[in-house]
Amino acid sequence: MSSKRIPRVGVGGPVGSGKTMLIEQVVPLLAAKGYNIGIISNDVVSKEDAERMRKNLATERGLMPEDLVIGLATGGCPHTAVREDPSMNLSVVEEMETKYGDLDLIIIESGGDNITTTFSPALADYFIYIIDVTGGDKYPRKRGLGIETCDMLVINKIDIASIVGADLSIMERDAKIVRGDKPYVFVNSKKGQGVEEVANHITKYVLFDQPPRAITPRANQ
Amino acid sequence: MSRKNKINTTNSEMKNYDFELRPEDIGLLQLSDSFFPTGMYTMSNGLEAIFYGNKKSIANPMDLLNLLKVYIENQIGPADCTALGAAYEQIVKNNLPKLIEVDNIIFSMKLVEEIRNASSRSGTQLLRCVGSFVTDHLIMNGYLKAISAKKATGVFPVALAVSAHSLGIPRNKAALIMLYGFTVSMVGAALRLGVLQHFDGQMIIHQLRNTLVSTIKSNIDRPLTGIWQFAPGIDLIQISHEKMLSKMFIT
Repeated sequence: MSSKRIPRVGVGGPVGSGKTMLIEQVVPLLAAKGYNIGIISNDVVSKEDAERMRKNLATERGLMPEDLVIGLATGGCPHTAVREDPSMNLSVVEEMETKYGDLDLIIIESGGDNITTTFSPALADYFIYIIDVTGGDKYPRKRGLGIETCDMLVINKIDIASIVGADLSIMERDAKIVRGDKPYVFVNSKKGQGVEEVANHITKYVLFDQPPRAITPRANQ
Repeated sequence: MSRKNKINTTNSEMKNYDFELRPEDIGLLQLSDSFFPTGMYTMSNGLEAIFYGNKKSIANPMDLLNLLKVYIENQIGPADCTALGAAYEQIVKNNLPKLIEVDNIIFSMKLVEEIRNASSRSGTQLLRCVGSFVTDHLIMNGYLKAISAKKATGVFPVALAVSAHSLGIPRNKAALIMLYGFTVSMVGAALRLGVLQHFDGQMIIHQLRNTLVSTIKSNIDRPLTGIWQFAPGIDLIQISHEKMLSKMFIT
């Protein structure tokens, strides 16, 4: 077993809600502060998300070594892979911790799933759940464990809310009712709007505003 | 016959149907339960590649049954089952170096990288889980240290042998857990791929009873020098599955 536990953030949400793009926006903001990050991407039917993030974040921008973006197939059970039986994810986390002990953060992306997705506390210390407006403004009101219990609710694609007939004020009202004092944030991941707030939450509540553990040579720089 | 005698007779008869319950039986159920966290549900052992590549080859439940027999009799049985038997023997002898040797041999026999890695990840997590409630098993603790030191791989058959021994589960029943778990994970993958309906899945497990038992009997005592596997068609399927761009399962 690795010597020290690296903080872990789980990102869950329905298929197409913008999990991958949120990570692609958040990682550069955290990297700009000097944090070193690894990513595990659980995918339902491919490794496309992992390959995209590896290309965008590692190969092209050099924000991390390429082998710090790892894709995992989940056997058609995305929620099982991050909750009931996170064995494969935990193994990959341990491998990262062993190989890159100076990492500050590991982000674990769940495969796209339904609104009951949650992360095992053994796997993730902080849980971000992302939905988007295209499912309608009823989404927060419908609750579900993911929306209710996550540490941060992200509501994505606000730029097209009016096009799909989603009333953001209703979503905000219901998010407050369902979640009480727990945070939510509206974002447009495509343009980066609102994403800084997500990064700031991670810095404050996961990394506790600690400075980066170590500055390691970045790949491809 | 008085009512009292009648009850006694009934109880006596029922003794023929009751075996002594042992706490170890719970361990056997626990390790063989698909709810036990080993991550095996993420693997199809190449079945997904067959599904997409040549659906006609598994057009009905009997096709899958026959395919599973090939896996069990030519790959899992003579390789993993033999390794499990040999590992268990070394655990009983308290011989950690020899146990690590078994680990390295069976790991090296897994030809497909994804399967090798998945077997190690699965086995290591199995050990970590059992090690969280069985803390005084010397061989398990030594084996876990060897895995951390990268001297051992934690490959599943050896990890299962160690876990089973720590829970007092006999060697042949440990092998039964492994073969049953393999069968269930394959049937589960077939169900999720839509190859089967749920009754068919249970029928296949039932039909494989004799195969599972006979495979264990003919392989568990095999000396490690006689370990083998020969299923080149399956090897090729697994290699092609590993390379698939879009897939639901780890190979």
